[in-house]
Amino acid sequence: MNENVNLVFASAAIARRNKRYIVWFYLLNLAFAHFGASAFSDAAHNILDHSLYADKLLHGFNLGVFTELLTRPEFGAMPSATHPAIMFAVVFFLASLVFMPGVLLGYASDHRLPRDEFFRACGRNVWRFVRLFLFFAIIAGIVAGVLFGGLNALVTAADKTSNERLPFFTQLVGTVIILLLLTIIRIWFDLAQTEVVLRDQPAVRKAIAAGFRRTRRNLGRLLGSYVVIAIVALAILVAGILLWYAIVPPASVLGAFIVGQAMMLLLLAMRFWQRATAVAFYVREMNQPVVENVRAIPTFAASMAP
Amino acid sequence: MCARLTVVCLLVASLAMSTYAQTGTAEGLAIPATTSAINSAAPLSQRVVAYDMDAKYNAKAHSLDASETLTYHNLTGQPLDTFPFHLYLNAFQPISTWVREGKREATRGQDFEKWDPKSFGAEEIKSFEVVGQGDFTNQLQFVHPDDDNNDDRTVMQVHLPKPIPPDGYVQFKIKFHDQFPETLERTGWNRDFVLGGQWFPKVGVWWHGAWNCHQFHAYTEFFADFGVYDVKLTVPQYEVVGASGIEVGSVNNPDGTKTVAYHGDDIHDFAWTASPHYLIYNDTFQSSMGTVKLRIMMQPAHWGQAERHALIAKQTMERFDRWYGPYPYKTLTIVDPEPGSQAFGMEYPTFITAGSSWLMPQGLLLPEGVVEHEFGHQYWYGMVATNEFEDAWMDEGINQYTEAKVMDSIFGPSTSTINLWGITAGEENQDRLFYESVAALDPIAKNGWQYADNNSYGGITYGKTALILLTLENVIGEDTMRQAMHTYFLRYRFTHPTKEDFLKTIEEVSGKDLRWYFNQAIYGTQVLDFEVLKISSVPVEWYKEDLQEKPGVTEYMDNVWIHRKEDFVIPVDVEIKFDNGDKVREHWDGQDRWVRYAYQKKAKIESVEVDPDHKIYFDRNNFNNSRTEEANSAPARKLANYWMCMSQFFAQMLAWWLV
Repeated sequence: MNENVNLVFASAAIARRNKRYIVWFYLLNLAFAHFGASAFSDAAHNILDHSLYADKLLHGFNLGVFTELLTRPEFGAMPSATHPAIMFAVVFFLASLVFMPGVLLGYASDHRLPRDEFFRACGRNVWRFVRLFLFFAIIAGIVAGVLFGGLNALVTAADKTSNERLPFFTQLVGTVIILLLLTIIRIWFDLAQTEVVLRDQPAVRKAIAAGFRRTRRNLGRLLGSYVVIAIVALAILVAGILLWYAIVPPASVLGAFIVGQAMMLLLLAMRFWQRATAVAFYVREMNQPVVENVRAIPTFAASMAP
Repeated sequence: MCARLTVVCLLVASLAMSTYAQTGTAEGLAIPATTSAINSAAPLSQRVVAYDMDAKYNAKAHSLDASETLTYHNLTGQPLDTFPFHLYLNAFQPISTWVREGKREATRGQDFEKWDPKSFGAEEIKSFEVVGQGDFTNQLQFVHPDDDNNDDRTVMQVHLPKPIPPDGYVQFKIKFHDQFPETLERTGWNRDFVLGGQWFPKVGVWWHGAWNCHQFHAYTEFFADFGVYDVKLTVPQYEVVGASGIEVGSVNNPDGTKTVAYHGDDIHDFAWTASPHYLIYNDTFQSSMGTVKLRIMMQPAHWGQAERHALIAKQTMERFDRWYGPYPYKTLTIVDPEPGSQAFGMEYPTFITAGSSWLMPQGLLLPEGVVEHEFGHQYWYGMVATNEFEDAWMDEGINQYTEAKVMDSIFGPSTSTINLWGITAGEENQDRLFYESVAALDPIAKNGWQYADNNSYGGITYGKTALILLTLENVIGEDTMRQAMHTYFLRYRFTHPTKEDFLKTIEEVSGKDLRWYFNQAIYGTQVLDFEVLKISSVPVEWYKEDLQEKPGVTEYMDNVWIHRKEDFVIPVDVEIKFDNGDKVREHWDGQDRWVRYAYQKKAKIESVEVDPDHKIYFDRNNFNNSRTEEANSAPARKLANYWMCMSQFFAQMLAWWLV
């Protein structure tokens, strides 16, 4: 238990020490979402800016009027608003994939990682991370597919009973269990990614095997830490929504923006906290001065030298 | 002698009359003049039918065997030798018109590709006897008056060799077997629940010189004559039963069943329900005709919402009683049907089904809306018994209008549907959404089954009717409209009025010729869309090179163009606001395609709004009804911020799980 608590606090310290990563990723997230929302924003401005009817959306949120807005032909089809948002979400995912090795290296470092080392780590590991992602997608996809299929069958069976709450709670409990199992797979691959970056392990399958072994041996400790952080994230989400509802006047665009962005920033920080947990665990597990090893990795220029 | 003969003749005549009054015909048939189920000492309707039924429900097979004795009083003024009957449950078979229409439009809540034959419904006549004329079981014919579907078996007809004379009676003794479908169209079984709707052979209505007995269509409802119902239902003893009318007896049988007897006066249909799970919440409402017993049959998981159901029922009944007229029946049964069944939101005389879920926050006014709506049908279908096949709008649409009035009066106009966590919506919003997507497809006045599709049927009969009546209220005044509705109800309750009966009543009460409105709104497909085409404020001395515009000093040529984009013509007010605070109201007759208003003032136009008092509810696009000179980007920025936050969250979750 103490080890668990130590791990959570140690990783929180790491994430806090390297909060610039969170800020950069947040700005990236914000910028991409801004681009993703631009089509929606343009259409809304076009219809609402000179209309008094828009007041029903400013001083309150009339769902009927909002739906009328979405169904106006001049607003355009919904895919024209949703597709950019989805595309930029994918771009954010790719950016995370590319830059995460630098973050992991930074987390393992006992000093502020120089920019060139950060990007060098990103460059060296990009293809490895793509392969890790593919392995993760296959394994998690199969597991999620089978489990959600089973859950669906359970919910269908529960739906045939007269207990109205049963399907809902079956769905809820089943989803939580599946998310826990997927979290275990996520931990496994987080450790594999850490192994790849900190050991400069080019053999991705070896890293996956090592990640699996470490996850299996320390499942309770790691899962406990990840779940605690996930609960904090959920609490932030709920508190943020309540705060938004309680203190932000309906017409305050700035207030809504500030509360909303604070929520997004903190949510993002939670995932980085989990990442830091994986790194902190890995470093402790290896019980060796990893950073020195990392520094010993030959740079691209050095490897090309005669 | 002469005096003695006169006395004898009078005696014979009075004896004959008293016999006729008691029995109606020489065969001793009559429609009972009972009043035990109503708060009235005399019958309220001209009773045409008396149904006496004895039904035994097989809960395992979801089937029912019953005998029906139907006494029919020929009030048509002419001999009748043909009688059509509805066999509605035969609609739930693959070859029926109901399924063909449903399949055509992928509606009716059933994936017909995966439809299990065990879930079909059927209504089979085992024997059919006409008292005094013999057995006609083998002479029954299926007819299909509305289409060319020879396979449809929802209407059967019997031809009698001896016509029934005017004012004569005929009695049918029918034995039938029902196989209930897995709930469809608000009838049938789901798990151990059953709702018996449209479950017995029901005679058509002689209306405007002909039989009116339509097939069961995918989105039309029903039409029947008033009368008396005496129904005995035999069900397993563990069932909790509810039905139309009043309960008059309950007996436990030695075979583990019980027989519950019901009686209904001045009603035109009879529905019932049974489930072992119902919990009963009793309440009363004091109507202006007497006490009404409210029997609310709740699902156990919804028990906490029983008071919500009772409260909205009483609030609605109080408003209907005060605004339109009294509810004369002694009972109202409100059924909270099996969750997941397609039995929610249906009306039968003195019996309605609501709809809820175990998770139903107070601000989500779904149970309230459904209870209000279905109770409203007690007036616009139950008592003012309109033809729902041909004039669906007179029930659904008028009821949608009164729903808006009642719900708005209780919960507020902008919050009468949703008022939850800052998200709001009112009845009018809901009706506008119904209407807008189908605005020009069909007129209101159209046979229900001949609408373009299910969406048009819903959008026009419900949404458009409500919107045009709300607008009409602003044309003739709210008090006048309420008086017109009151007059219409009192004049046509317990009858089968036509659309013109309704429209003429409004014209009569308002004292206005409203044909210009009805021809477009009821009989036409015209659509309304006003827009502020453009506004301009140009300095009068624009030609001066050294012109410096100063507020309150510089004089402007102010022009406003209003455009009627579509073809519905209606007068409208226009309000022009200037930047010095002045306001000008114009009244445009709307006849031309556009109008321009010109002013010369020491002020620029700040904003223009068509219909500033929001009297017109069916303008297709409210966003273009106004225009401000200065842009206010706050509403769009607010929505864009919401959208951006959701996009960020989605992107984070994607990256959270995949990287």
